[in-house]
Amino acid sequence: MKRRTTFRTDQQQEQTAAHQAQPASGHEFATPEELLRFDAAQTVVPTEIAQRLQKSSADLPPPARSWLRRLFGS
Amino acid sequence: MNEPVAEREFAGEAPSGFAAPEFAGVYTEHSRAIYYLALRFLGDPEKAADATHDVFLKAFRKFDSFRGEASVRTWLYRIAINHCRNLQQSWHERHVFPQADEAVWENAAAKTDSPLRVLETKELSQRIQRTLDALPEEYRLLLLLVADEELSYEQMAGLTEQSAGAVRGKLHRARKAFVAHFEKTA
Repeated sequence: MKRRTTFRTDQQQEQTAAHQAQPASGHEFATPEELLRFDAAQTVVPTEIAQRLQKSSADLPPPARSWLRRLFGS
Repeated sequence: MNEPVAEREFAGEAPSGFAAPEFAGVYTEHSRAIYYLALRFLGDPEKAADATHDVFLKAFRKFDSFRGEASVRTWLYRIAINHCRNLQQSWHERHVFPQADEAVWENAAAKTDSPLRVLETKELSQRIQRTLDALPEEYRLLLLLVADEELSYEQMAGLTEQSAGAVRGKLHRARKAFVAHFEKTA
C-alpha cells in the first residue's frame, strides 16, 4: 500500500510533541524543509559529474597552494 | 550543524585522480548540496548535473577569489545560484516544468530500493518539483537554502542579499505557500 505524504497541522504537532525526538514515521513531515531534507537524502549525485570534473580539471593548472592551505589549515 | 549521516553516505564520489587531490575533499563534502540545489532550482536532472560540474569547475578556477571570509559551502552556493539563474535566463524556461526523461527519474532512486520504494520516491520527487516550480523563485531558493542545516539565517541573508529578518518573514510565507501547493499535487 502506498504511503501518503502529508504535513502535520499545528494541533497534530502539539499532540506529537512528546515524540519529536523520534524521526518522522512514514512520509509525514512537520515542515517543508524537513521534506526537502528527506528528498535531498534520497537524491543520488550522478557519478559521471565527478568523472567529468576530473577530466575538465586535468587541463587546468592546479589551485594555488595558499588557498588550499587556508582551506584545510595545513 | 552537521550533515546527517545518511547524507554523507550518499554523497557524490570524489574523483580520485584530481589534479589537486585536496579539491576532491571539497567535492565530496559539498557536491550533494550543490547538486540538489541545482536539481530543484532547474527542475531537470541532466541540467543539474551539467550545472554542478560547471559550478565546481568555476570554483576550481576561481580559487583566488575565495578569501575565507565565507564558508566554502556558502561560497559554492553563491556560484551555484548565479550559475543557475544565468542558465534559466538564457533558456527562457521560467515557470515551465521541463519534462525530464523518465529513465532519469528512475535512476534517482537507489538501486537497492524495492519497486514500491522507487515508485514512491519518483512520485514524491515529482510532487516536490511541481510544488517548487509553482512558487516564486525567491521562495523556492529560500526553502532550498533553509533545508540545508549547515546554513544560518545570516548566511542565507547574505546569499539572497537581504536582512536576516526579511529572510525569516519570507520563509514564513514560503512555507505556507509550499504546503498549500504541495497539497494540491496529491
